[in-house]
Amino acid sequence: MNVLPLRPEVENESASGRKAAAAMIEIDHVSQTFQTSGRQSHLAISDISLTIEDGAFVSILGPSGCGKSTLLYIVGGFVNPTEGVAKVKGNAITGPGPDRGPVFQEFALFPWKNVLGNVMYGLRQQGVPRAEAEAQSRRLIEMVGLKGFENFYPKELSGGMKQRVAIARTLAYKPAVLLMDEPFGALDAHTRTRLQNDLLNIWERDRKTVLFVTHSVDEAVFLSDKVVVMTRAPGRIKEIVEIDLPRPRRRAELLLDPRYQKYVVEIEKLIDDTGIAELHP
Amino acid sequence: MIAVRAVMSKAAPLFAVAGLLAIWQIAALALNTDSFPSALDAIRAIPAILTDRGDLINILASLRRMAIGLSLAVLLAIPLGLMMGRSRAVASFFNPLLMVIYPVPKAALMPVIMLWLGVGDVSKTLVIFLGVSLPIIYHSFQGARAVEEKMLWSGAAMGMSATQRMLRIVLPSALPEILTGCRTGLVLALITMVTSEMIARQSGAGNILFNALDMAQYDTVFAMIIIIGAMGIILDAAFEKLRGSLVKWSEPRFDIPLSFS
Amino acid sequence: MNARALSTDVLLGIAPIAMVIALWQALVTFGYAPVSLLPPPGLVFVRLAQQLVSGGFLHEIGATLFRLFAGFSIAVILGVGIGLAAAVNPAVNAVVKPVVRVLAPVPKVALYPALLLLLGFDHASKITLVAADALFPILLSTYYGASMVEQKLIWSAMAAGTPRRQILFKVVLPAAMPSILTGCRIGLVISCIVVFLAEMITSTDGLGHLLVAAARTFQTVDMFVPLITISLLGLILNGLLHGLRTYLLRGFPEV
Repeated sequence: MNVLPLRPEVENESASGRKAAAAMIEIDHVSQTFQTSGRQSHLAISDISLTIEDGAFVSILGPSGCGKSTLLYIVGGFVNPTEGVAKVKGNAITGPGPDRGPVFQEFALFPWKNVLGNVMYGLRQQGVPRAEAEAQSRRLIEMVGLKGFENFYPKELSGGMKQRVAIARTLAYKPAVLLMDEPFGALDAHTRTRLQNDLLNIWERDRKTVLFVTHSVDEAVFLSDKVVVMTRAPGRIKEIVEIDLPRPRRRAELLLDPRYQKYVVEIEKLIDDTGIAELHP
Repeated sequence: MIAVRAVMSKAAPLFAVAGLLAIWQIAALALNTDSFPSALDAIRAIPAILTDRGDLINILASLRRMAIGLSLAVLLAIPLGLMMGRSRAVASFFNPLLMVIYPVPKAALMPVIMLWLGVGDVSKTLVIFLGVSLPIIYHSFQGARAVEEKMLWSGAAMGMSATQRMLRIVLPSALPEILTGCRTGLVLALITMVTSEMIARQSGAGNILFNALDMAQYDTVFAMIIIIGAMGIILDAAFEKLRGSLVKWSEPRFDIPLSFS
Repeated sequence: MNARALSTDVLLGIAPIAMVIALWQALVTFGYAPVSLLPPPGLVFVRLAQQLVSGGFLHEIGATLFRLFAGFSIAVILGVGIGLAAAVNPAVNAVVKPVVRVLAPVPKVALYPALLLLLGFDHASKITLVAADALFPILLSTYYGASMVEQKLIWSAMAAGTPRRQILFKVVLPAAMPSILTGCRIGLVISCIVVFLAEMITSTDGLGHLLVAAARTFQTVDMFVPLITISLLGLILNGLLHGLRTYLLRGFPEV
């Protein structure tokens, strides 16, 4: 197995330049059944197999209830699959850990800590001395554009700012994988596009592996190298679409790019077909 | 499997009671002093109390005073609380007064009230009324405050007058919270009743309790404790059933939890 | 909130109390109530001031406060401890829940004679009664606060590397603070009430005892003094707790 992780040395690198990168995440015939109240059980996802290469930005896209968040939680180790196995770097996932850092739609910031305290949390947890942790955190806070807000508490911040703190907090403990669960879903459209751009800028620096859950087709196409389209519950993989668009991606250019538009239309059709197929089997 | 679990959780309080009585029994036998009768001794003394006419009349009189005090409180406190909830002026007038009165134990007013109104039923009922009013006012206030403005606007658009809106929107909407206040009130009524009887010893369950203490009838003391405890448990359980059926539609709120629901 | 708004609030708060005192004075002045039953407010407050500088009265307040704090502290330690344990550990939960359901509606004051028999007539029985009464609201508030901690907060901490055994203190406890402090506020008021009542029922010192002693000798002024004192104490303690709450919860959104 070729284990060269690619780093962006060349401008406008295309997806086809990324050849046999190491498998960072392997999802092997994973299914998840939930017990709802009483004797009912709900099959959320069914027999999902998926490989995600190191350094890839992969979106999981699908209608509500298709189990995409569940899949993310399984990779994160927050939920154990009822069937199948998920692995990171070849090791089976048994629980959460700093190698897979989550960013949630609800931000999940610690309300009893200010911005600096939140971002420092992971570093302090790993035993980094206070002064060093603080210095690293301040750099990160500046990188996500919140310089000057270090002593603010989450309740004093807007939604977009909270999500930036959440991203900084996760990046602080340097996970190999970023797990993002509809992170911009609770934000207004304008903030959403700004954060999408900022996320790509941050990601370009060290090209972590990203697993990004969303129900927005244009968001998925804009951000990712690959889009995994899922069916309605029980969720299966309908199709995986490779997004062959050059990086770095600029929204203004991309919106007018016919290739981008074709991807969006194609994938929207896939999702529509999913719905109709379920109604008329 | 699920059915077994459901039965187990319903029966759990009974197991708890049995467990507590068992611990009591063991501790009493271990300590082996006259002043700490065992659980069985205490239980055996209960029928003697319940069949004694004098005692029974005392206990029923206590309950009657409690009922009257509670009813009066409910009739007066709920409207006051609701009005405070809907009118900032009314609220800012009464709030400071209530905050000052809150930490004063109403049963402590017994001596003063007895000076004014004598030692009869009136003073005891008044104290219960005062003690119970506060939580009911507070909860009615909170419940009324939390009524969604948009619901009232809809009512006004339908042509409802202010009084109609109060009765047909605010009251039902605040009902779950009001009933929580009543539950607190019920618990407080029992406590105030027993305490005022312990302080102003004339009649009632608290009086029986301390008389037995003075006369070193320790079995009776502990038997009375069980009886009063049982009254509390039964009244609370009965009220919870009533509350559940009155507000089936509401979601549970845990602002000021009184017990596990 | 700026200083101006704060002082307006304070003034608005005092106004109704001032009105009540004025009403009180009016009742006495216009003869609606005989002085032997309702002494004029001035007299009561003068007496209160006199008492406050006398060592004896301060000793009584001290006795009451000692029992109050001792009982309250025990209730906080036990209540928060058991509440947290029950929220995170199913085995503890299975035992605690039914026991609380049975004991919560029981008027703990009914246990007072038993406590007197077992622990004597001095501090211990009163402290235990205070603790028993204040325990339940604190326990329940802690339990509910801890059970409703947002799952994603715990997940975020775990992903950041927090081991399972530290989650209770690093995430659940801080996140449950608003609930815990609400329970403590209720527990504090209950402590004030219970200690006073216990001292009224049997005691040789303390504010409650002063009230009963004055009643026996028909000294109405001396009866009002302890009542007003406990009310003031309650207000002060509540204010202190509120200040503590504001500091501890400075990051939390308004509830």
